[in-house]
Amino acid sequence: MPNGNDKPKVGIFGLTGCAGDQLQILNCEDELVRLAGRMDIVDWVMARSGNDHTCRLDVAFVEGVVATERDLETLKEIRARAKTLVALGTCAVWGGLPAMHNEMSREVLQREVYNTHVQFLDTVEALPPTHFVPFELSLPGCPIERHEFLRVVNSVLSGTEPDLPRVPVCWECKVKENTCRVIHAQEVCCGAMTRGGCGARCPSHGVACSGCRGPVEEPNYDANITMFAGRGISWLEIARRMSNFSAPVWMTQGLEQEVRRESKR
Amino acid sequence: MSPSGRNIVIPHLGRVEGHGGIFVKIVGNTVHEVNMDIFEGSRYYEALLKGKHFLEIQGIITRVCAICSASHTVAALTAIENALGVKQTERVHTLRGLLLLGATIESHALHVFALALPDFLGFDSVIGMASKYPGEVAFALKLKQLGNRIQELIGGRAIHPINTLVGGFGKLPGHRELQAIRSELQAALDPLMGAVDLVATLPVPGWAEQDTVYVALRPYEEAYRFRGVSICTSRGEEFPIESYRDVVREFTVEHSHAKHSALASGETYMVGSLARLKLWGHHLGGRAREAMGKLFPAGVQDNILLNNWAQLVELVHCVEHSIEVCDELLAMPEAPREMVDYEVRAGRGVGAIEVPRGTLFHEYELDAEGRVVSANVITPTAQNLANVERDMRTAVENVLAGGEQVDDSRLKLNLEMVARAYDPCISCSVHVTRLDGE
Repeated sequence: MPNGNDKPKVGIFGLTGCAGDQLQILNCEDELVRLAGRMDIVDWVMARSGNDHTCRLDVAFVEGVVATERDLETLKEIRARAKTLVALGTCAVWGGLPAMHNEMSREVLQREVYNTHVQFLDTVEALPPTHFVPFELSLPGCPIERHEFLRVVNSVLSGTEPDLPRVPVCWECKVKENTCRVIHAQEVCCGAMTRGGCGARCPSHGVACSGCRGPVEEPNYDANITMFAGRGISWLEIARRMSNFSAPVWMTQGLEQEVRRESKR
Repeated sequence: MSPSGRNIVIPHLGRVEGHGGIFVKIVGNTVHEVNMDIFEGSRYYEALLKGKHFLEIQGIITRVCAICSASHTVAALTAIENALGVKQTERVHTLRGLLLLGATIESHALHVFALALPDFLGFDSVIGMASKYPGEVAFALKLKQLGNRIQELIGGRAIHPINTLVGGFGKLPGHRELQAIRSELQAALDPLMGAVDLVATLPVPGWAEQDTVYVALRPYEEAYRFRGVSICTSRGEEFPIESYRDVVREFTVEHSHAKHSALASGETYMVGSLARLKLWGHHLGGRAREAMGKLFPAGVQDNILLNNWAQLVELVHCVEHSIEVCDELLAMPEAPREMVDYEVRAGRGVGAIEVPRGTLFHEYELDAEGRVVSANVITPTAQNLANVERDMRTAVENVLAGGEQVDDSRLKLNLEMVARAYDPCISCSVHVTRLDGE
C-alpha cells in the first residue's frame, strides 16, 4: 500500500453478525480501488492481514450486534480510537434479527441450540452497538445499499452531512407505480413503517416489504395494525409479519396477546 | 530453539469471514494442542425460528451469513418444499440452479483472488496485490460482480435474496436481462483461462499433504452439479440424504462456539471444492476439464492448499454452465411470475445443497398450521473444523520435521494458509446447530 500518511485512516469492523455490510463494501467492485486510493484502510480483519489494531482512526465503520462481552470491549476500543463512528446496517443501528427474541433468556436459547448444559459460551442479550456508545452517523439496511454507503463515505471524507432518504419504502414504491401488496394482495406490507433507500426492492418483485431497513422516523404502528386488521387480515398474520424487523418487542408481544385472546373466543 | 516448548497464537485470523483465531502448542517437534478458536457470538437462529410460520423461514435463516445467503435460501426452500410435498417446476429448478451458480462465482472469485492468492504472491491484501497485478485484480473484481449480478437478477438482491419464494419466484427475469448476463459470461471465459494459466505456474507447497476423507453429494444427473440425491464419501460409501444425522456426527468442543463433526467411524473429513473435484471431477467437460488438467496434472491430491485451485476449476465450470442454463431459460417463454399451488400440512423435510464451501444441510419440521416445530442446520464450515485442526497439526509437524530452525512468523503464515484454504465461513459455523422440538 502506498504511504497514505496524509490520507484519512479508516477502520472497518464487524461485531456478531452475518458480515453482509462488510461484504456490500467489497461488492462496490467498480469503486473499491478508487476508494482505497482516497483513504488508508489500516484495520479491516475481513479483507486483509497485518492490521494495525491500536492506531487512531479518522473514521470507523461498525456492523453487527453486541452479543458477547468481547463484542462490547471491542466496541468501546473502537469508539476510543475513532473520530467519526458510523453504524452500518440494521443490526448495528436497531439490533436487527438477532435482537428479535430478547424476551427469551440466553439460558433458554443456549439449551435449545446447543442441547447440553454448556458453560463455555460467552453470550449476552443481543443489542445494537448504538445502545452502548454514541455514533456520529447511522446507515441502516439488511444489508446496506451500496449507493447509500458510497454517499456516506463521500460525505465523511469531505466533511459534509450525507443526504439520506427520510421517506418510507411505501413512498418509493408509489413512485415506481408498483401494485400495492396491501390493497391488491391483502398482504401485511411493512413499507409504510420502514425507512426507504432500497427503492422498494421487495414490492418491486411482487413481495411485501419485511421491514429489514428498520423504522422510518416516528412510524405509526397503531394505524398500520388497525388498517391491516380492518382489511380482515388475522392478528396472527399481522404479528407474524411485523415481529421480524418492524415493530419493537412490546408491540409484537401486545399482538401475541391479541392472538391468544382471539383463539379463546 | 528451546526444546521445552512454545505456543503459536494468532489472536484474530484475517482474510476470512467471521471471527476466529488459532492456538498451537508445540513441544519439541510435536504439536501437543491445536485449536481453531471460534469466538464469533451466538445468534441462536434455530431457536428464533421456533413457532414462526414457514413463510418467514427463508427471510430469517438467510441472515445467518451474507456470503452464503443464496445457498441458505435454496437449501431452506428445498427442505420446506419437501416437508410440504411441493414439486418444483422445471423453470423454478433451473432458476434456482442459476442462482446457486451466481453465488458460487461470487464466493469463489472473492476467495481465490482476494483472500487466498495474496498469500501465494506475497501480499497482505488484494489492494496490495493490485499494484503488481492490476489487470488480474480488475478482472477478478469484474467476475465477482458478475456473480452478484446473477444473484441480483434471480434473487432480487446480491445479499439476502427476496425474490425466492416457497413454490416459485415473485418476478421472473426477462429475456433481455438473461441475454445481457449471457454475453458477459461468454466474455469472461478467456480471461478466466488466462488466470488459470497464471495460477498453474505457482508452486504449491507440500507441507500440508495427508490422507483425507472427502464427502460430497452425488449429482442429480450424470454431470458436475451443485444439487444432489445422496451423500457419498471418498471411501465409496453412499447414504440417503434423509439419514444425514447418522452420517454427520456433531459434538461440542470447549474452545469453539461452533460444533465439530466427524463420521460414524470417528474420522474427520473435508467438504468443499476439493472434495467435489475428487468425487465428481470426471464429470467436468469443456474448458473446466482443460482447467483441471492444467491445475491438477497428476489428478486430485490430498493437499488442502489445492482447495484454492479446485475453486478456480469450479469457477470455470460455473461460468460455462451458467451460459448453458441461460440458454435453457431463454428457450422458455417469458412470464411475469411463477408459483405453484400447495396445501399447508404437517411434515418434515431435509434440503441438502453443495454450496461454495461444501455440503449444507437444512431440516425443518412443521405442524399442521405450518409453524416451525424444529429446525436443524449443519454448515460446511462446521463439518470442516475438526479437519482444519488435523491439517494444521500436520502442517506444523511436517515443517518442524525438516530439522531447520523455523521462526514463529513462518509457522503462523503456514497455519493461516491452511485455515484460509478451507475458505471458512465462521458466521455460518456458529449458532447454526440443532434445535430440538419438545
